[in-house]
Amino acid sequence: MAKVYQDLRSFLTTLEENGQLVRIKDEVDPEPDIAAAGRAAANLENGPAVLFENIKGYPYSVVTNVHGSWANHALMLGMPKTASTKEQFHEINRRWDKYPVKPEILSREQAPCKENTIDNPDEINLFDILPLYRINEQDGGFFLSKASIITADPTEPENFDKLNVGTYRIQVKGRNRVGIQALAFHDIAVQLEAAERKNEKVPICITVGNSPLVTYMASTPVMYTQNEYEFVGALQDGVPTRIVKSDLFDNLYVPAGSEVVLEGYIEPRVREVEGPFGEFPGSYSGSRRQCVITITHITHRTNPIFENLYLGIPWTEIDFLIALNTSVPLYQQIKRDLPEVQAVNAMYTHGIGCIISTKVRFGGFGKEVAFRLLSTPHGGSYSKIIIIVDEFVDPFNLPQVMWALTTRVRPDKDVVVIPNCPGMPLDPSSYPAGIHSKLIIDATTPKDPEPNPREAELLEPPAGYEKYEALIRKLMAEM
Amino acid sequence: MKCPRCDSNKIEVIATSPVGNVWEVYECMDCFYSWRSTETPNIHEKFKLTKEQIDNLPVIPPVPPLDK
Ligand SMILES: [Zn+2]
Repeated sequence: MAKVYQDLRSFLTTLEENGQLVRIKDEVDPEPDIAAAGRAAANLENGPAVLFENIKGYPYSVVTNVHGSWANHALMLGMPKTASTKEQFHEINRRWDKYPVKPEILSREQAPCKENTIDNPDEINLFDILPLYRINEQDGGFFLSKASIITADPTEPENFDKLNVGTYRIQVKGRNRVGIQALAFHDIAVQLEAAERKNEKVPICITVGNSPLVTYMASTPVMYTQNEYEFVGALQDGVPTRIVKSDLFDNLYVPAGSEVVLEGYIEPRVREVEGPFGEFPGSYSGSRRQCVITITHITHRTNPIFENLYLGIPWTEIDFLIALNTSVPLYQQIKRDLPEVQAVNAMYTHGIGCIISTKVRFGGFGKEVAFRLLSTPHGGSYSKIIIIVDEFVDPFNLPQVMWALTTRVRPDKDVVVIPNCPGMPLDPSSYPAGIHSKLIIDATTPKDPEPNPREAELLEPPAGYEKYEALIRKLMAEM
Repeated sequence: MKCPRCDSNKIEVIATSPVGNVWEVYECMDCFYSWRSTETPNIHEKFKLTKEQIDNLPVIPPVPPLDK
């Protein structure tokens, strides 16, 4: 049974035991030090989480880059930190099929997130609890970039399947006020619209500092009627995640081990300037008028840890966080119709670039696989550059993909551009925003009836190489 | 004090450092830009806002009509 985490703290302990967490004990300024460390950690090979213990003017600590490397990502899954990206991809797919796993509901007394309560709305001050800081220079304020946010469907508040746990960027606008980005195509916007039609407030819980798989599922695009907590149990290999009822709202449940839980309301029919904010494509998204939340109640653990992420020019922590949780749903959807597909790498800029490895059933099949990707809900608008490789090429290994491109692609027949297709507005090359051309590159070996006049013989690895791979790994680990 | 983004003078102190007296955080009540007293904001021209621009920013998500 893989190691399972019910809170952030136990995961940080594991990261430290594996040499994947460093502590900065000296006093630092909130700006620009915390953001600079997040950028720096992401620049390193297998960058660690960075814990700041002493931030000027604040009582508590901050941790950044928790998900920001393949080693940390493997440890999140309870795998050895050396597990390859492809191994992690297949392990997530195996566990995915265990959905749904009902969460375990703890009593208030059992839940660590209820250790401290601030229930007088006049005493709410986010700056007392969270060491807030600016992430990128031109950001419009201090942001929560990694919160897991819980809302219910106003028309069916009792329906647990429609309880939504999602990640949305939050701009702090006062001691008890924050702004939220609720994009029209995300689940929370469906709930907001139903409430705003009746001019009703939307109850909301913003949770900060969660077990790593709660954060992971909060940023995974699953269906509206699929409960994210039941996926966390699946990805914990069948071990239920622990939740507890919110203090203010009977139908909202929060992770029992959260460091901080902010409870309050989205104000209906109100929009105020939000942004700009440095986003995952490596450029700023501009100012917009967006929703506002009033916080009226806080619970938190003693000595809470503020978990937040840096994002900017790829790769940063967010690219690791949304790498496989974008790839897995696409793989599941394509594989259902085309079982020859071996793996999907949709890790590049949230699936704008996508590499698929497949067996080729008949001539032209590579393009059929690309068409199937381009007819999935995510791939249809996000995926712009699609590369199809043979089943013996690891799509997560870019040197191998480059080998396929250099030895399998004849540009006159294997490269196709389809103009004027649905696009992704945050892609700064999309013009007009939301329209782009699709580029398909078929880097598979030709198969009958497509002619293959220069059939090549692939090299076989020398006998016994697997044994030596295991032995060399073991010797390295002992050094 | 003026807002470094929109030049408004409607500035409020939204926080003082919980430990020591080492910084304050200010916010513009017209454009909601906020900054810490220990920062020196340097807003790029393309991110500055006029009153007219604020009024015409896109609204996300759109506000639906009220049910009758
Ligand atoms: Zn202003």
